Amino acid sequence: MSDVLLEVKNLTKYFETPAGTLHAVDGLTFRLERGKTLGVVGESGCGKSTTGRAILRLHEPTSGEVIFEGRDITGISQKEMTRLRTEMQMIFQDPFASLNPRKTVSEIIAEPLRLHKMFKNKKEQEKRVLELMELVGLSERLVNTYPHELDGGRRQRIGIARALAMKPKFIVCDEPVSALDVSIQAQILNLLKNLQKEFGLTYMFITHDLSVVNYFSDEIVVMYLGKVVEHASSEDLFAHPIHPYTKALLSAIPIPSLGARKERILLKGEITSPINPKPGCRFAPRCEYAQPCCFEQSPELKEQEPNHFVSCHFSDKF
Amino acid sequence: MAEKQYCIDIKDLAVKFTTMDGVVHAINGVDLKIEKGKTLGLVGETGAGKTTTALSILRLIPNPPGEITSGTIVLEEKNIFEYTEKEMEAIRGKQVSMIFQDPMTSLNPVMTVGDQIAEVIQLHENVDAKGALEKAKEMLEMVGIPGNRAGEYPHQFSGGMKQRVIIAMALVCNPHLLIADEPTTALDVTIQAQVLDLMQKLKEKYGTSMLMITHDLGIVAEVCDEVSIMYAGRIVEHGTLEDIFNRTSHPYTEGLFGSLPNIEKREEELKPIPGLMPDPTNLPAGCPFHPRCVYCQEICKSRVPAQTHLSDTHTVACLAYEEGTGVSLGGKHS
Repeated sequence: MSDVLLEVKNLTKYFETPAGTLHAVDGLTFRLERGKTLGVVGESGCGKSTTGRAILRLHEPTSGEVIFEGRDITGISQKEMTRLRTEMQMIFQDPFASLNPRKTVSEIIAEPLRLHKMFKNKKEQEKRVLELMELVGLSERLVNTYPHELDGGRRQRIGIARALAMKPKFIVCDEPVSALDVSIQAQILNLLKNLQKEFGLTYMFITHDLSVVNYFSDEIVVMYLGKVVEHASSEDLFAHPIHPYTKALLSAIPIPSLGARKERILLKGEITSPINPKPGCRFAPRCEYAQPCCFEQSPELKEQEPNHFVSCHFSDKF
Repeated sequence: MAEKQYCIDIKDLAVKFTTMDGVVHAINGVDLKIEKGKTLGLVGETGAGKTTTALSILRLIPNPPGEITSGTIVLEEKNIFEYTEKEMEAIRGKQVSMIFQDPMTSLNPVMTVGDQIAEVIQLHENVDAKGALEKAKEMLEMVGIPGNRAGEYPHQFSGGMKQRVIIAMALVCNPHLLIADEPTTALDVTIQAQVLDLMQKLKEKYGTSMLMITHDLGIVAEVCDEVSIMYAGRIVEHGTLEDIFNRTSHPYTEGLFGSLPNIEKREEELKPIPGLMPDPTNLPAGCPFHPRCVYCQEICKSRVPAQTHLSDTHTVACLAYEEGTGVSLGGKHS
């Protein structure tokens, strides 16, 4: 039996801008089992970060349901939401901007403990902070340092310790390694993986880096301009991509080995504007297989093969 | 075999910056050569000294705080340190040009893109304003931007298109050497693919030599002929693509490959390099990589490794390849 921790149904987030309505996330639906990782990939502006934030209600969703442990959290009060945030946390992309520069490492990590009044006395709180620092590989002597004294990798470890402080069940990782050098990136990825094993964490892993997402995720959602274009297990997606956008995206990854050069699909043009999008498939203007119907009708996400969802009018032809 | 012709030949370059926190030894004896028409990849992490190397070639190291303390850079058979500032100006943009990492900040926001390209032409060639703008439009077409957009401002273009404008600007005077400093890092993968493809085509068309600075070994595998791996201001390994990818010799290079997720075998564990980049104001004695090296021996902490030639094309700076040091890489190499 599958143990679903999070279910998202028809999640939509629109922003009103002077130029019109920006469709950041448009009808997103997925389920995430406990202890698994869902990777969300796509290029700048595809709505992947907004998705993560809308699930945690850091952006109020425009419509749709977010069901966490069997309960729709979109309607609940702010007060209840605050309590629920102890179970749902976030790790941010930029370890330089997401830490308060005027607080020390231990103050930053203790902040959620303090806010939620976890400990009666300071001693216990300090003990927990040191425990968390050890968990993420920060040495004890750093307790009184400030973020600016530390490098990106260590700062990201602070962000992870802070997210873990309340023993959450679910963590949204929004590009947690993209600001880091490769050797440090690998350290952080391994840390996140080990923490998942140890605490049975469920991750939503948002990234633009396809080799990282493949390494890290059980399932992958590919987004394009606010819509899901393909959703499958990682093995399946990388072995048999179906949607023309996914194919182009995968073929564009530079592979760090010789002889692996493959035929690259060069997409024409660039991502179109998500403001007042035209009807029809959002990828159609760049798609080499686009037919007139693609510009008129928006394709539904359908189960092309078992557990492999694709949103394309011609998915059975590829 | 005919004598190889080099577009640029850097010998024993050293650069330091004097700052409030101490002296930053950014580059400590770098040798680099690029054969005419070839592409050299310069790979390393933040703070390895890649960009400082590039700026030295253009003599754009801000002084103070920066200072080139030793070395020669021979460009087309002449040491650039002998040029006057005026002569140097004639070289920048004409013989050597550079593409910067961030297309958002390297264009002038209050000047049309056409005028920005035309400015380069007028500086280096004897043409009038009208002719320069005509040529700028042609160049825009060449990089896939309609010429009639020459009158638009940078903010009207997307990131990928801005980078194309910069490429157009860099190539308009047909330079002998193009330095590309992380040209696609700020771009999405599909746009990165377009831009790399474009650079490759233009490079072949004009026979330009290229120095490709990147941290992405995937890009190196696709566009470079030779690779230099840089760490803490030194070249630790240099070779052809085959040397570096298939006969990886330096422990740092090995660590870089171990840190990359393998897209074909996803079960494989990542093997990160332990520790952090050394503080450039306080570089470790001996081999700069020794505090992070899993094969480190006592001797590595005091003796600086020399460049050892493994073959005609492949050099490595590691004591394990020097006679009588007793350092071994666990028997998997040598």
